[in-house]
Amino acid sequence: MKLRRQTKLLIEPPAVATGDIAFNLIVFFLVCASMEPDQGRPMTIPRAEKESRQQQTKHIEVDLTRTAVFMNGNPLTVPQFEKQIRTSLSDKTREEDRIVGVKCKPDVAYAHWMNVSAAIEQAGGIVTLVREERINVQ
Amino acid sequence: MALPRRKHIAEVPSVAMGDIAFLLLIFFVILARARDDSHIQWVPATGADLSKPATMRVSVSIDRDNVTYLNGQKISHEQLGPALWNPEGLKDKGLLYNVPAGKRTVLLKIHKDATALFFEPVIEAVSGAGGELHHVLEDTKK
Repeated sequence: MKLRRQTKLLIEPPAVATGDIAFNLIVFFLVCASMEPDQGRPMTIPRAEKESRQQQTKHIEVDLTRTAVFMNGNPLTVPQFEKQIRTSLSDKTREEDRIVGVKCKPDVAYAHWMNVSAAIEQAGGIVTLVREERINVQ
Repeated sequence: MALPRRKHIAEVPSVAMGDIAFLLLIFFVILARARDDSHIQWVPATGADLSKPATMRVSVSIDRDNVTYLNGQKISHEQLGPALWNPEGLKDKGLLYNVPAGKRTVLLKIHKDATALFFEPVIEAVSGAGGELHHVLEDTKK
């Protein structure tokens, strides 16, 4: 019996790594797809300007302590404050009249500050930070 | 005379390998840029009616230990303002320099229990530098 010489060579690329590469690509696509941008709340805070004492008194002043809210000196709970600020700002049409100065004690938590600021913004107010200047006297 | 047997060389096609490597490189770069503050330990405060930011150019974070970070790098309150906006700087004029209004979004990732002593100077520095604040919060519905 005469054997025929095999002249046609079948060349196959090694397909072992292809599965790994495809798996890596799937993982990367999944990671990229799950990267949703962070949700949150935009806030515009006016730049700090030096105002006269007379002008400052026109704005609504909100004082925050660790647990309480004071609106123009009156202590309120957060739900009471939401109603009160809505009523106070409802008749204010000019932008400068809707500025609300928020003054914080140093130990106020961010979550509390955020709740109060959100209430002010939802009522149509513009939040400004009121910070005390500390002067070291020697 | 004996003729030498012809040798057949089988080569693996490597044309696609460059493309795959390039794609992997792009993915790594994108991931590295997007997740550069993922090591920071913080818990967001809650809120309703949340929206997604227009751009994600800059992020400022305050972690559980009240440490402030700018794009994942530790920074002091005094350095934060100039790092965002410093037109007088010789080399580095700040991350928000030459960025048009509307695209100056600064993501604020502040731990819910961080106190005013730490978050107020940050908010002041960002707004002073012309940054458009976007507080990152967790939706109360979730």
